[in-house]
Amino acid sequence: MSVLAQVTKAVEGFNRFVEQQVSQARSDSQFGEQLMARWQAARGGLGTVTIPTALKLPRLALPLTDEPGEVARYLYGEGLPGEFPFVNAAYREMYLVNAGAKNTEEPTRLFAGLALAEDTNHRFHYLTRHQKNIRLSTAFDGPTLYGLDSDADGVFGKIGEGGVALDTMEDMERLYAGFPLSGEHFSVSMTINGPAPIILAMYVAAAKRRFGPEVVSTLRGTIQADILKEVQAQNEIIFPIEASLRFLADMVEHTTTHLPRWYPISISGYHIAEAGATPVQQAAYTLSNGFTYVELFRDRGLEVKRFGPRLSFFLDCGLDIEYVALARVCRKLWAIGMRDVFGADPPAQLFKLHTQTSGRSLIAQESKNNLTRTAIELVLACLNATNSCHSNSADEPFTTPSEEYVRLAANSQAILLEESGLFKFMMNTLAGSPGMKIVERAVEEGILVEFREIDRLGGVLPAIDQRYQRSQIQAAAHRYEQQINDGTRPIIGLNRYRDETNAAPAVKVVRTPRRKKQLQVDRLEKFKHRNRARTERALDRLATVVESGGNVFKELIHTVECCSLGQITGRLHECVGRHRPMV
Amino acid sequence: MKSKSVRFPDAAPRVAGTLSKRAATPTRVSRRTQLLKPPIRLLTAVPICDGHDSAINTINLEFIHCGVEVVYLGYHRSARDIVRAATQEDVRAIGLSSYNGGHVEFFTEVVELLKRQGANDIGVFGGGGGTITKADAAIMQKNGVDRIFFAGTPLSEIVKFVKIAYGAHRRAGWRARGETISDPDRRIARMLTAAETGDRDEGAYVRGAPAKGSGPITIGITGPGGAGKTTLIDELVLRFLKASPRTRLAILSHDPSLIGQGALLGDRASMVYSQDDRVFMRSLATRGQAGGLSPASGRCLRLLKRGGFDRMFVETVGIGQEAAPFGGEPVDRVILVMSPDYGSRLQLQKIVMLDVADIVVLNKSDLSGAKTAAVEIEQRLALNGRGQKLIQTVARRHRDTGVDELFRLAIS
Ligand code: B12
Ligand SMILES: Nc1nc2c(ncn2[C@@H]2O[C@H](COP(=O)(O)OP(=O)(O)OP(=O)(O)O)[C@@H](O)[C@H]2O)c(=O)[nH]1
Ligand SMILES: [Mg+2]
Repeated sequence: MSVLAQVTKAVEGFNRFVEQQVSQARSDSQFGEQLMARWQAARGGLGTVTIPTALKLPRLALPLTDEPGEVARYLYGEGLPGEFPFVNAAYREMYLVNAGAKNTEEPTRLFAGLALAEDTNHRFHYLTRHQKNIRLSTAFDGPTLYGLDSDADGVFGKIGEGGVALDTMEDMERLYAGFPLSGEHFSVSMTINGPAPIILAMYVAAAKRRFGPEVVSTLRGTIQADILKEVQAQNEIIFPIEASLRFLADMVEHTTTHLPRWYPISISGYHIAEAGATPVQQAAYTLSNGFTYVELFRDRGLEVKRFGPRLSFFLDCGLDIEYVALARVCRKLWAIGMRDVFGADPPAQLFKLHTQTSGRSLIAQESKNNLTRTAIELVLACLNATNSCHSNSADEPFTTPSEEYVRLAANSQAILLEESGLFKFMMNTLAGSPGMKIVERAVEEGILVEFREIDRLGGVLPAIDQRYQRSQIQAAAHRYEQQINDGTRPIIGLNRYRDETNAAPAVKVVRTPRRKKQLQVDRLEKFKHRNRARTERALDRLATVVESGGNVFKELIHTVECCSLGQITGRLHECVGRHRPMV
Repeated sequence: MKSKSVRFPDAAPRVAGTLSKRAATPTRVSRRTQLLKPPIRLLTAVPICDGHDSAINTINLEFIHCGVEVVYLGYHRSARDIVRAATQEDVRAIGLSSYNGGHVEFFTEVVELLKRQGANDIGVFGGGGGTITKADAAIMQKNGVDRIFFAGTPLSEIVKFVKIAYGAHRRAGWRARGETISDPDRRIARMLTAAETGDRDEGAYVRGAPAKGSGPITIGITGPGGAGKTTLIDELVLRFLKASPRTRLAILSHDPSLIGQGALLGDRASMVYSQDDRVFMRSLATRGQAGGLSPASGRCLRLLKRGGFDRMFVETVGIGQEAAPFGGEPVDRVILVMSPDYGSRLQLQKIVMLDVADIVVLNKSDLSGAKTAAVEIEQRLALNGRGQKLIQTVARRHRDTGVDELFRLAIS
């Protein structure tokens, strides 16, 4: 039985178990009393708060029921925040502040990357100038995402567009210059997949060069490195699937031992949803990809106990009603699958979530409306107790966001979490509403239907071979555009209440000047020239490790000292071939 | 890993997907329908370092629904690859979808390269949502791009444009200025169009076709849908290009379509080694003909034979048990590609191509069931007593020794 079939069975079994607890709570008075004792304790568990308007509230909101069956359904079926199956939240407390407090740990993590490393570095410093907790999120440009050097044939126009250009570990040093990489309150995230092991190796090498070898074990951050969704949605896989998964597993193996605070993979639904998938498809493909990684790493001999807690997730949050509860369902299914199929301990049962509001829901016409769209999505994301969040800028349809709109996007999070009273005083303010429960159930059923279909095709990898996920996503994307065209999906300013006088956007477009692109190429040439005596030998060593089945990531940390990204991918292509794109 | 996709009876599409190659159930083509106006052929692609393919996938689907034949080259494609493919496929126009910036340079590069190839009768159009500003579009159009579609354009408007701009006659390019086609690939491409459409106007360019020797060894590759035919050809191409640094190859590839309807010709998108100046590839839609080839395949093959290539591959669409596609065509060697999950031994008896093929390839021999399959197929071939060879391959594996063996046996 494939892992997905096992997960499906486990979820069905879990739901039956909850119903048993419900009837037992009603029929067995002793059990009922135990539950009620727990319930009372939970009610007072987080204490109370007096908010600035002088109202007194409990810090944790629970349903106003004392019926043992309903209490059992709550405690077993969704769990208190931080308790299995974590429907309400991964942690006991989230977003809460003390009524009079001035500072909070904001879940703000804004995605940035533009032009050259020093430009992005400047943007990073600007973004975090008021933050105690520095959480950087890095976007790379096209050539980097595809593992190419800035001097590769035909890519000049793409240098530094849509993300930062990075060719060598020296660029990596420039990118994070001035930040305390080993600091308790510093973490960095890197959105890169195909060449992820090479990029992380550059990060490690750059950190070592700056702070010495002891720094490695203190490095904290996330690298996306989710290859399966690349094949399904984002299209940045560069080596054949098997080889890509091996390089990934090498990296996971290495980081769980040597970089214990690193998250070596961010299992992502964002790109699946943005490529056009429905919310249910997003959740189903993301979770099934996640379980596939766990199976893969386990079968390679890694311990679930060790790598399980280092997995994290990244979801999209759009305007469809499913988003009222999507992440809640994901937390539940992940916890059940990890516990019951993989025997994972609680730390590995947590679906730790970063959310980004939907880019695709933002449109060019009357683009200031995008502020409203993002604000609604932010509310939905926080209703789902996301652990961190990126809110898109209103100029998203046009270009790399300008500082003005980035600032507004960051402020929208602060307004929601710090200014409004919705989340900061009480947990679960809206969680568990009747509509939310109904959406939850419908979404869960939809996800299980997808699991059964993927299982019928032989599991995630065979389904990929058969183009299952791609064809489903494409069909959904086509439907979505048709709905916009025929008006069944109203988009204000586009197919409804269109303001013809105000059609052309007055947005300043950020472009990387030619001279900067040339500077990047020149720097790369110098790097290559300076290291030319060592390059070939280092690449040969890397090739030997690849052929002999050694840990490629470990070797890459040395290779990047004298080889550029493109030189390394080039050699790896010779060893393992290229990925054949799927239509 | 187990794949259940590959079954001989090709009635069912591989998955529910709209683009499945096995979705069409073709019927025999009649004389009358051959006279229908040929479908518009377009090439679509996403530029290098860009994987935003959602818009183009949607547009492709819309085009196909509206009767257009789309040669899709995929994402992350260089201007050179795009222009080479467009010239070889002799499409009416290239539709580009660009999101990762650098579009002014990229579109302009495509237009310039087309000119240099003497192929500026091929139009260029495209879009990229909000990333392409009105000002950018103005520059691009000045540089020779026909039209840029901005964010929020209804799909019907795009289709309407294509039908008007590229539906009627070729736009004036080299022909209007009375030049001759100097680029040999371009000439062959134009002749293939004439051969495919029977267009008298185009037919004029068949005269003066290059005739060189008796033609290259032509290898027909057939087998059920998803068996790995395209992957195998791409791997053979890689070996061929490496082994003989001067020679050139031609590939004639097929995808199913119904009469008068559109098609997605997607084989190029999944090929990596075949994107090379030494490879000439042409994609044909079957336009309603059953059995694996198109009504024009024979004509195109004969033309290509005179094109000065050293080897030729013909890939059929995924075929059913009873099909024997290469009957009357000038094909020298026939390779049947199978995968282990053909079903029961009984099914094997029914596969006509097992009698006809010169070489049988059992691909995906990494899958479970490959050993049994190999034994069963060997036994089946032994009954024929023709000394047909069975080769086991894993086309998807880099430097697979099975593919090496096939290369030695079939190609060199
Ligand atoms: C969806 C999306 C994604 C998805 C893509 C999924 C996929 N497989 O396509 C994901 C999440 C994977 C993604 C990733 C990235 N993205 Co993105 N993405 C978008 C987004 C939100 C929508 C684009 C889209 O598909 N729209 C749907 C289509 C159907 O509508 P449309 O764009 O309006 O297009 C219409 C017309 O223009 C026209 N059209 C479009 N193409 C064509 C072609 C032809 C031939 C014709 C006739 C017409 C036509 O028809 C359409 C229908 O009307 C845009 C922002 C936005 N809101 O537009 C950013 C955006 C394009 N992405 C951007 C970036 C930077 C990236 C990344 C590089 C981020 C990173 N550093 O990691 C990666 C790179 C991915 C890659 N592999 O290249 C930037 C580009 C910035 C720039 N050029 O300066 C944008 C603008 C967002 C931003 N402001 O940062 N992205
Ligand atoms: N497991 C496995 N998969 C393979 C092998 N060779 C190809 N594939 C996969 O099989 C799928 C189909 O491959 P294609 O080369 O497109 O097959 P095809 O016969 O050309 O398919 P159609 O033209 O659509 O009929 C792809 O997902 C390939 O990656 C192999 O040796 N082993
Ligand atoms: Mg094929």
